[in-house]
Amino acid sequence: MKMNKNGQMRVIETILASFIIVFALSFANILAITPTSQKYEATELEKLGYNVLHDLDEQGLLPRFVYTEEWDNIIAALRVTLPLDVYFNMTVYDLDGTNVNHKPISYGYSETFTTSKNIASITYGLVGYPIRTNSTYQAAYDPRILILQIARG
Amino acid sequence: MNAVYDHIIAILVVGMIFVGAVVVLPTISFANLQAVDQQQLRNTALNVFNAMLLDTGEPANWGSVEDFKMNDPRVQRFGLASAQDSKFYVLDPDKVQRLVVGNPLNYCDYNRVRELLGLQNYGLHLRIIPPFNVTFLSTSVTGDSLNYKVKVAYLDGTPIPNAQTYATVVCTKGKDDFNITQSGPVGTNPMGMCEGTVKLGITEPDYYMVTLRVTVADVATLVATSGEPFNNTIAVMNVVYDTLLLTSTKDPPDYNEPPNENVWILNIVAIGSQGSLWHLFTGTKQGQGNKFNTGQGTFELWDEIFPGLHDFDPVVFIFNFWAVDPITGQGRQQVLIVMAYPDILGTSVFDYGGSLKNVRGAAVKVQRSVIISSMTYTAELWLWKESP
Repeated sequence: MKMNKNGQMRVIETILASFIIVFALSFANILAITPTSQKYEATELEKLGYNVLHDLDEQGLLPRFVYTEEWDNIIAALRVTLPLDVYFNMTVYDLDGTNVNHKPISYGYSETFTTSKNIASITYGLVGYPIRTNSTYQAAYDPRILILQIARG
Repeated sequence: MNAVYDHIIAILVVGMIFVGAVVVLPTISFANLQAVDQQQLRNTALNVFNAMLLDTGEPANWGSVEDFKMNDPRVQRFGLASAQDSKFYVLDPDKVQRLVVGNPLNYCDYNRVRELLGLQNYGLHLRIIPPFNVTFLSTSVTGDSLNYKVKVAYLDGTPIPNAQTYATVVCTKGKDDFNITQSGPVGTNPMGMCEGTVKLGITEPDYYMVTLRVTVADVATLVATSGEPFNNTIAVMNVVYDTLLLTSTKDPPDYNEPPNENVWILNIVAIGSQGSLWHLFTGTKQGQGNKFNTGQGTFELWDEIFPGLHDFDPVVFIFNFWAVDPITGQGRQQVLIVMAYPDILGTSVFDYGGSLKNVRGAAVKVQRSVIISSMTYTAELWLWKESP
């Protein structure tokens, strides 16, 4: 009779051990960062956003659009340079944190930015814009901070 | 007896646990294993894409090397970045041209590129997508004025207002008249449409072609050409760095097809990315230096070096030939051919690599904005695993 009880205990131990293993594996799976998780998609979108802003800056267009307040041109430039399925929303601030763009710089459904799990936020700084006066250029230090949010539509 | 039952029950329970472990556990982890696999694929795709877009390759000017062979063994490392430009994501048009399958001056095929990138067990597909669309709605000539109407739209079809269009019209009349005129810019209306008029300088021309350079927000430019289409059997125009090279339309030349035989080059004009014109060449109808024969001889028909051509950033070449009329097949006359350079600088999507048909679910996609000949495009790389 004693031996039988030992046998039952072995079975119960095995069951418990199995549960522990299954639980541990499931827990590890929950913690695993998959490519479809926010982190990876957002990182990819961030790279894309930086790439586009850097390109526009290199061509001297981004400072011109921002400092001469050509908001429609920023929208058009971002729409032609970003892939078709990428939505964006940009806000321009001065150093005091005041919103400079009085017109929305965005494309896509606004709900996307509240419902989507994969939103990348890119911060890009501009220090000033050279203005030509009497064949000489003058550049005033007047920083702008651009916050570009992008998401897949 | 009880002990036997105990053992039977124990064996059954352990058996069930074993079966459960074998069936359930892989199911639980399969999705994550697949995800980890995709993660590795995504990392590989990012590295490959960076290598393609940021690296010049080896030799650094491999797209422009002389006498480029099919899958040229001199190419030691693959990369499309321009060696002349220090900015990121600026591609060399000569290297992109070496990916155009069927390029008469040879190209690197899909397997060779995979080998150079070390991707033998992977499939890849590269797409270069224009930033927007330009559609000619109409073109007509009245007297010495040409009228055109175009529509400019984003890739999803939404019209683009305030896009600027610059027109270059080339026309010929009779045996001698050849003229190029430019006009613009003309802005598109809220419907994305615009109409422009160009004075030709020639009344009622025999042939004309309109090339539009369309710019959106000064950032993206596209070139679109409208003209009477015909089967070009005269010559294929190729550019390698500073050299213009005309080749036979057949490789090897097919002499069973009625050839145009003696052809003279009368004019060659390049349009730069900023719209400037460069009259590269002017010839006569009797010279030897500008004559080639499409009915006999070599595959390479004519070539000429124009120092500074590559730095000029040409996007369109206009050729005026003295050849047999390709439409009627009779009589020698002026024939206009307009060519975008590189070929992908049109409004169509450039595709290269393996088929995406059955792999879309298993492939990862990465995208970047790139510049080719001062024009902005979206480059897209699809990568997937293939069984060895």
